[in-house]
Amino acid sequence: MSIIYVLIPIAILLVCIAVLVFFWAVKSNQFDDLERHGSSILFDDDLPKHKQNPPPSNLDNHE
Amino acid sequence: MEVKCFHCGLDVPKGSQFEALVMGQQKTFCCPGCLAVAESIVENGLEDYYHYRSEFADKASEDSQDILEKLSIFDDDLILSEFVGKNNNAHEIQLTISGINCAACGWLIEKQLAKLKGIMQIAVNVSARRATVSWDSNLLQLSTILKHIENIGYHGKPFQPEQHEASYKQENQAFLKKLGLAGLMTMQVMMLNIGVFFDLFGHIDAQTKQYFNWVSLLLSTPVLMYSASGFYAGAIRALKARTVNMDVPVSIALSLTYLSSVLATLQNNGQTYFESLCMFVFLLLISRYLEHGARYKASQLSANMLEYMPTMANLVENKQLRPVLAKSLKLEQLVFVKAGDLVPIDGVIIEGKGQLNEAMLTGEFELVSKTKGESVYAGTVNQLGTLTIQVTSVLKHSVLNQINQLQNQALANKPKIAGLADRFSQYFVAAVLVISAITYLVWSQIDAEEALWHMIAVLIATCPCALGLATPSALSCAVAHLNSKGVLLKRADALEQISTVDWIGFDKTGTLTEGKFSLAKWVNISDKTEDFCFQIAACLEQYSEHPIARAFDGIKRPYPVENVSSVIGKGLKGTINNIEYKLGSDSYMKHSIPLSMEACNVFLESDTELLCGFTLTDRIRSSTAGIVEGFNSKKVTLISGDGEATVSSVAKTLNIPNWLSKHSPEEKLAVIKHAQSHGHTVLMVGDGINDAPVLAQADVSVTLGVSSDLAKSSADIVLLDNSLDKINLVFNIARRCKNKIKQNIGWAIGYNILVLPLAVSGVLTPWMAVIGMSLSSLIVVINSIRLLK
Repeated sequence: MSIIYVLIPIAILLVCIAVLVFFWAVKSNQFDDLERHGSSILFDDDLPKHKQNPPPSNLDNHE
Repeated sequence: MEVKCFHCGLDVPKGSQFEALVMGQQKTFCCPGCLAVAESIVENGLEDYYHYRSEFADKASEDSQDILEKLSIFDDDLILSEFVGKNNNAHEIQLTISGINCAACGWLIEKQLAKLKGIMQIAVNVSARRATVSWDSNLLQLSTILKHIENIGYHGKPFQPEQHEASYKQENQAFLKKLGLAGLMTMQVMMLNIGVFFDLFGHIDAQTKQYFNWVSLLLSTPVLMYSASGFYAGAIRALKARTVNMDVPVSIALSLTYLSSVLATLQNNGQTYFESLCMFVFLLLISRYLEHGARYKASQLSANMLEYMPTMANLVENKQLRPVLAKSLKLEQLVFVKAGDLVPIDGVIIEGKGQLNEAMLTGEFELVSKTKGESVYAGTVNQLGTLTIQVTSVLKHSVLNQINQLQNQALANKPKIAGLADRFSQYFVAAVLVISAITYLVWSQIDAEEALWHMIAVLIATCPCALGLATPSALSCAVAHLNSKGVLLKRADALEQISTVDWIGFDKTGTLTEGKFSLAKWVNISDKTEDFCFQIAACLEQYSEHPIARAFDGIKRPYPVENVSSVIGKGLKGTINNIEYKLGSDSYMKHSIPLSMEACNVFLESDTELLCGFTLTDRIRSSTAGIVEGFNSKKVTLISGDGEATVSSVAKTLNIPNWLSKHSPEEKLAVIKHAQSHGHTVLMVGDGINDAPVLAQADVSVTLGVSSDLAKSSADIVLLDNSLDKINLVFNIARRCKNKIKQNIGWAIGYNILVLPLAVSGVLTPWMAVIGMSLSSLIVVINSIRLLK
């Protein structure tokens, strides 16, 4: 069981780092807009312009 | 088969032909506005927006040319300096952007603006509906940026953030940090103490347990010192004001439990409660964060509505016109007001005559004719004719500003009503303190050494965690529900007050009615078809600035008109297919008006005969019908500045028993104060500048999305889609919310009373207390979440 005397301090150190990272994230306004950035990874910036993608059927509004 | 507009998702009117190639397919649009926006998006290579979006866009406005012209005033240095941050050539501005519906909108705006030469940075915040833009002023002008936003169907405007917004933002970040710290630490401490709980079964030796205690102490100290600091501050503030609030027992419980646990650790004897402490702080912070977050978002969204549109005036200097800011005008200066312009300042007409819309000030709907020597007021609109006015008082002393001050006074005097939980907590706190003191005294007679521990057990068992969550969780869920239905709450606690409302006041013009003319009835006595008469009238009216003309906007205009001329206050005439038509009031007609047209106020005639008569009225909003029935036992009053005849007819149509006409803002205020002094809780619904003071005075005030800025800034609740029947929804949610709060408080108290005897007698072990407390809080939160449905 003596291994926990080493492991727990390491865990504490990691938690401290996590807290610092979290504080930095809050300070640099990363939590300001919780709606958008969840989906921004889906918006591909590198799509070639004028590429004629067939639209997905749910966006086709001619009913 | 219904065809929907590809851009905004609304129905496409029959027979319209607006089509464009989007993503390789022919798509149909409902109006030239939507078509133009879609074409502009495709042209810029941004059609991927249509892939990404999860919601339809707002319907694009058709008179965008008009808006674009107005935007150019934002290039004036005087105006720029008011809200633009400068750093050499780099300008930075926050814009509120209306029309943002989903994350793809943010992407679209960023891509569109990033193409502009001179843009240095652009960041769109979708949840706040705002964008921060910085640009190089040598390469780009603000109006160009705004135009580009306008081109893709959004409306960007500078705005005035609320005074408290900066501090709200700071508090929000502080809450997040505290919450994050408490969460991370709670996980660690919990993990260790799960082990300690199992010590009950004898697996962990005393030395390891003591080691765990020290680690827990180390980890929970920052939680106690930093995360919980807000509770101590709140408790000290309350005690200084000689009252008690929820923070007092929280602080006592926290500090006593912490001290006792530290003592137990130091003496290596007795129970520690670090895990319950951290958990307690974490759960309480969640509730406070939810509450604060809802308020922060409401303040952001309501500030977005106060778009900054500076009032400009045309100053007459040496027979030349020079545009200046209205607030820089001085006494005796001459100002030129064109038809359709806002009167920028209080003054006397010294030349010209015009017809003014003073509804914003008086509630009177009909235009008022004014001529040389008469006074005009800032905030009114000059619909017809041109005026030269001499400034009689600077903007600071104008009638408009006096109303503004009346509103501020009323807001300042508004009594603060303590919420249900706040009132309750006073008794609760007193009871907890008394019981723990008694426990201590009784146990000190029986077993002096154990007395302190038992007292602390009582404080922990009665930890008002669930009680603390009861109100904020219910309120934030109710606010979120209302938000999703298009009702914006600026104060969450207005919900608690609204359930006690028993007196409702309505404004008329613009609130119960649409505030614009529309075609109610018509009498056709000619052999022509009705459609023909309408089209002739619409063709003529397109040349008129009179608000009556807007009633004919939706009608097709197939005929070209020649020789158009108009007579102010009477009507206009023009030649269509070589026949001269006249459209206007009865005195403008050549032919006599038959009895069957008695009710009409606008007539159409050709040179040979009278064709048609139209009745144009300020139509009652369709959402208003039947609204009074929903209020059953409440006292409903219609208060308007308009004349007796109109007010009484509207009251009669809507079944409103009491009505008051010709009331000035001051008189309206007196009516509300009178009702309040007779013990009524007043809800006021209004929209105009003249309603702002009453909205501020009323216990709860409701306004519409189309209302004046002044009304929006003093109202508690804004119905964004202008449908008044949402008031009943608000009442409904408020009632459910109050029930939920009562249930939550009932449960929290019930649980505490249940465990109290166990804690007093020392039966309750700490891990049971912690799990019980968490479960109790969880039940409260889940109960509140049901409000979202």
